[in-house]
Amino acid sequence: MTIFSEIYGTYYRIAARAMVKSSVTENEVNELIRSLGFRDSALFLPRKLLPQKDGSDWGLLRANDGGTLSRITVNPPPAVLTLLQKRWLKAKLEDERFRLFFDDETLWRLTEMLADIKPLYRRVHFRYFDRFADGDNYSDPLYRENFSVVLSALKSHEMIKVAFTSGHGKRISFTCLPVKLEYSEKNDKLRVLIRKVRSGKLSGGGTLNLGRLEKVECTGFFFKDPVEIRDDRIKEPVTVRIEPERNAVERFLMEFASFEKRTERDLESGACTVSMYFDRSDETEVLIRILSFGAAVEILSPPDFRRQAAERVAKQRELTGSPKG
Amino acid sequence: MSGFSELIKNFEKTRDYVRDFFIYGFKVRSDFDRKSARTYDDEKRRVESWLDGFLRYDDSVRGRQVSISVDSGHVPENPLYKAFYSKSFTDNDIRLHFLIQDVLYNGAALTLREIVDEIDCRCGMLFDEQTVRNKLKEYISEGIILSEKRGKAAYFSLSPDRADEFFNEFDGLADAVKFFSETGEFGVVGNSILKSAGAENDLFFMKHNYIVHTLEDAVLYDILEAIEQKRTLSLRTFSAKNRSKKESENLVVPMRISASVQTGRRYLVAYIPLYNRFNAFRLDYIRAVKSGGTFAGFDRIYEKYCHNEERCFGVSFGERRENGNVAPLVITVKIGGGEEYILNRIIREKRCGTLEKLSDDLYALTIDAFDPVEPMHWIKTFIGRIVGIEGGNAAARELFRDDIERMDAMYNDNKGEHNDDIQ
Repeated sequence: MTIFSEIYGTYYRIAARAMVKSSVTENEVNELIRSLGFRDSALFLPRKLLPQKDGSDWGLLRANDGGTLSRITVNPPPAVLTLLQKRWLKAKLEDERFRLFFDDETLWRLTEMLADIKPLYRRVHFRYFDRFADGDNYSDPLYRENFSVVLSALKSHEMIKVAFTSGHGKRISFTCLPVKLEYSEKNDKLRVLIRKVRSGKLSGGGTLNLGRLEKVECTGFFFKDPVEIRDDRIKEPVTVRIEPERNAVERFLMEFASFEKRTERDLESGACTVSMYFDRSDETEVLIRILSFGAAVEILSPPDFRRQAAERVAKQRELTGSPKG
Repeated sequence: MSGFSELIKNFEKTRDYVRDFFIYGFKVRSDFDRKSARTYDDEKRRVESWLDGFLRYDDSVRGRQVSISVDSGHVPENPLYKAFYSKSFTDNDIRLHFLIQDVLYNGAALTLREIVDEIDCRCGMLFDEQTVRNKLKEYISEGIILSEKRGKAAYFSLSPDRADEFFNEFDGLADAVKFFSETGEFGVVGNSILKSAGAENDLFFMKHNYIVHTLEDAVLYDILEAIEQKRTLSLRTFSAKNRSKKESENLVVPMRISASVQTGRRYLVAYIPLYNRFNAFRLDYIRAVKSGGTFAGFDRIYEKYCHNEERCFGVSFGERRENGNVAPLVITVKIGGGEEYILNRIIREKRCGTLEKLSDDLYALTIDAFDPVEPMHWIKTFIGRIVGIEGGNAAARELFRDDIERMDAMYNDNKGEHNDDIQ
């Protein structure tokens, strides 16, 4: 049992889609290959999926007189859940985040359905040793209720009215449109990515910690189409130079692997230059993470970001004095 | 084009290339010296085909660099999953996949002979019984086909559990699978369920998302099975620094997967009977695993491991055995008025530590971990606030002082511009 099996593969999936309807055109099959396949699938797949005069195709589609194609099977291919997939679902039942998505009755029925299935793994097999300790409380009834309202609004593009208390103790309430739910493994928190709404029109974007919301209400007002999140990405990338010491190049590239980046290595020195993009709201977090690499990583640009690093280092030098002195 | 296929037999080789393209991004053709140039060209072309739209090309003095560039926090689906969906197969594999399911579609339970005859009757394709028997056996282990004995004859039927019907029957399941297909363990399995049901994640983004972890899922499955069954494992690992170096083999007793959500590194922590000690192996440096026999002392060792784990800041068990007891590391941090968020940060991020208020603006964090070097990376995130570091390991303290001195010289041109608002 492995996920690296052809039964989950792209070619099988395209063939299954081509066989859903009892009759398809060659153009429709080619369009399926184009939209669901890999970039080069159009070079390989048509000659196996479409009927060939020499019979070298798979024989799953048959040419009709009218120029259309029929599947050779009587029925459309069923989407059978494999044991691996059911074992995965069973493992997730143990996760309290999974339970956010269900009412008690549905969760009970699903648990019963998977009663005889062995979980793919158990939570106890994993230890996330540096996950923040103040993660969301997924079993809190208010949290569960707010999650449910936000998720429903997100799916139907409905505006919601939220209320929470700011970090400064100020009560805040406004109307917004949830655009995505964002989860962080590091913070173990769910956040709502929103677009603010003023006079029925979209304005700025924002992020709300779901765990801090005290009240979420539906408004009954909907946007017709999905709305994109507001682009918060820094305009100029942060560029750093990583010295080939203490395995810093590998450690840095792994730690910052989640960012879009460009890397270049200087063959003579072995140093590596990395330019990377991230959201503006993550600037402080990125800064302290870069500083944690010590002298092995130097921020080259932008100047303001480098200046912030310099300030912290200067303050540190003030606190600990001249190290060799 | 002759001989090239975008499908592969062996995931292991491809895993290496995808990882290098994704993590490093600065490598050029000549850096991939593990195999021939032809192999590189084929692997590169496959990755280009699977991950079209995420490939980036940069010309450097050393040649053309190919990298996979993804903003992991803003993609609805991990693009690296596609590597798993590229397994090669034979013509008969795909024919039988659809034909067997078709003849059993309506809940019928048929014998092997009846299945062979029905396929021939419906589709005009005659398969020999052994070929169909092998496929049925394979699909029984995959849970697609069920078998039961009636008298002496074996009857085969199709599993009644369908992805699309599950989504309809269990309200909320589709959304839950969307969520877990992009976070947590084995997300690719969830993604395969979505694809099977014709759905896709349109609700969630994942921050601090190490999409590259999926490449370890193949070995991870075997490791977890061994933990569950209390078996030994033979690990074949390679050196990240020197890939041409001979790979190492270790016989271990797997304890737990220990993962960092901040640095992206994941480890198998295991007991090595030969040295009578625990050790951590990077999951991404494990080439292959082979399950061995049941380890008789598993429960006793596991209990000891759980006890020791409480004093691991990360995954290191340190060198106390060699060096004797190590004094706890004490970090004194300056936190001014109105900076409670720093205090909160320490409270939520500290491990193996106790925090003590020394004065109005001074706090001491005492970390009693096996390896006092391991917390230093995290401690340096407080640069600008660290008043003193005591205890632990002299070499680590010296390294910190040296780091600050070198950083001071490095950023010297910005001296004198600092303000007090450090977060």
